[in-house]
Amino acid sequence: MSVDRHSVLLERRSAEGLARSAGGLLVSAALIAAVTGVIFALREHVPVLGLSVLYLLAVIPAAIAFGLATALLVSVASMLTFNFFFLPPVHTFTLQDSSNWFALAAFVVTAIVVSELAARSRRRADESALLAEIAGWLLERGELAGELDRIAGDAARALQVERATIVVGDGEPRPGPGEQYPLVAGGRRVGTVTLEHPRQGSAAARRRLLPALASLLGVAIDRERLAREALEAETLRRSDAVKTAVLRAVSHDLRSPLMAILTSASALARADLKLDRDDERELVATILGEAERLDRVIANLLDLSRLEAGAAQPEPEVWPVDDLVAQALAQLGEEERRVEVELPQEPPAVRVDAQQLERVLVNLLENALKYSPGDQPVRVQVVETANRVLVRVIDHGPGIPSQDRERVFEPFQRGSGGGAGAGLGLAIARGFAEANDARLWAESRPGQGATFVLALPRTQP
Amino acid sequence: MSGARILVVDDERQILRALQTSLRGAGYEVDTAETAEGALATAAMRPPEAIILDLVLPDGTGTDVVRELRTWSSAPVIVLSAVGDEREKVAALDAGADDYVTKPVGIDELIARLRAVLRRVTPSGEPVLRIGELQLDLEKRELRSAGKPVHLTPHQFELLRLLALHEGKLLTHRAILQEVWGPGYGTESNLLHVHVSQLRRKIEPDPARPRYLLTEAGAGYRLVDPTSR
Repeated sequence: MSVDRHSVLLERRSAEGLARSAGGLLVSAALIAAVTGVIFALREHVPVLGLSVLYLLAVIPAAIAFGLATALLVSVASMLTFNFFFLPPVHTFTLQDSSNWFALAAFVVTAIVVSELAARSRRRADESALLAEIAGWLLERGELAGELDRIAGDAARALQVERATIVVGDGEPRPGPGEQYPLVAGGRRVGTVTLEHPRQGSAAARRRLLPALASLLGVAIDRERLAREALEAETLRRSDAVKTAVLRAVSHDLRSPLMAILTSASALARADLKLDRDDERELVATILGEAERLDRVIANLLDLSRLEAGAAQPEPEVWPVDDLVAQALAQLGEEERRVEVELPQEPPAVRVDAQQLERVLVNLLENALKYSPGDQPVRVQVVETANRVLVRVIDHGPGIPSQDRERVFEPFQRGSGGGAGAGLGLAIARGFAEANDARLWAESRPGQGATFVLALPRTQP
Repeated sequence: MSGARILVVDDERQILRALQTSLRGAGYEVDTAETAEGALATAAMRPPEAIILDLVLPDGTGTDVVRELRTWSSAPVIVLSAVGDEREKVAALDAGADDYVTKPVGIDELIARLRAVLRRVTPSGEPVLRIGELQLDLEKRELRSAGKPVHLTPHQFELLRLLALHEGKLLTHRAILQEVWGPGYGTESNLLHVHVSQLRRKIEPDPARPRYLLTEAGAGYRLVDPTSR
């Protein structure tokens, strides 16, 4: 945005320059003509030689508005006009009288002095405009490095040197062509400016401009550093938040089975509770089931670290799919009763690492059981296609919104209905599925629960 | 006190079942709920005498449940919290929960806490509170320890009175500060710590090992009867 503004500014400046010199010549010619007319009218009443001073009315405006070159041109043109129209021999450019030379000299001196004064005040105005512009860029844009060349270019113009380069930093840059000046702000060196081929009068401009330039750069450098520090602090805070979330989730997954075990065991240990045989059996079953669940949570954590370290090498063998499903069901404990299985007549075979694939199925089933209401079954459907075997695990939970269907496979993610656990199961399922050349994805029918599809490459047994 | 109806709320079915079987074995009648909504509905339909409430529920926090419950029920609530839930735990206590236990917890501890909160439900109505060796006369504003009079400043008396009226109950810093010092207080925990330490020097046989006025780190204080523990 400021790039555009800058180039427009430059174009406008050069266009303005052209228009200004053309306009300058026109205006000056008009002024000379007007003064000549006035002198013509007055020449009967006033000695004509004294009237030559009126040409200063053309020289001074030219010097102020258009600079020394135009002013000198106007001086010579005025003198020639006066000579041609009023000095004998009239209508020639011949100079007979030395007073004409005097008039010309007066015009030229006036032109030089006035135009120099005007140029100086113009330069000052340019310098403050430049500083305002630089301040604008630095405040608008964060990146100092991208603005340095542009600032140096403008500084070169204001400082009346051919080329300027700015280096940020408190070190001494390598000596090169041109003179180096340190930029000091608030008592510390913020950078160095190198100026090549200074023109006349650049020393004064340098003394005025460089301190202001240095303070601006100092502010910009500080601002950039603060922004960087704020970003770093934010990044740190976020990674802390992630660590806390992971720790809490893992602690929840470890502590929940532990809580069920501790409650059941301490109830069995108390002599004063009235528990019948069924109660006792149930408490014992809870202890055994939850101890196995605890073991699976720990196995999941270990598997995740192995998968993330790329250390989970499968050892594939050919297995009938129904065998794999049966082995997975056997690991579910009592919950296994809630699973309904649909197998094809001829069980297809797949070439996989049986242990890893079991983990995929167990994790999918555990997830489905967790999200299904207690009275609803979870279905496992095995279907053959031409070159794949699809295992579908269908639950009656709340389903997965379409935007979350990939997210659920990231570790430490959890559906909205899932409480506070780590949600490692699906991440591990996908990791092992992919290690075995299988694909795993989620489908969801709104309001009807979720379906996880495991697509295994088919093998001839 | 056995036979009381207890509502147990937890989204982990296995925990729910273990608690249900154990508490039933201890003589309680047990209702269960797995969600915040279910907890409120069950509490409304079958008003329990006490509630055991997990802090993390699938459709809300235990704190939300306590806040809603307190608009129409005064049944004591014991919060089940885990390490890492400290802030939520204090929020639940501030919202009106009576006590908390940290998971994993054995059934013995849970039954002990349950008995304590159920006992408190029936205040004696007497002007003299007896807690162990302490006798606090609310009318005469006098304290006797093992029969000997003990002088208390007005703030110390109010602090002890509040804790004694809620014997066994965990009171949060905020609750104590607002009750004793006024509604403008609540975050000046230092003020409270200093007063508790002064009070301990007057009521505790060994102030370095308090037996009456116990600190619950990060949560609050509770006054207990050391002879009945």
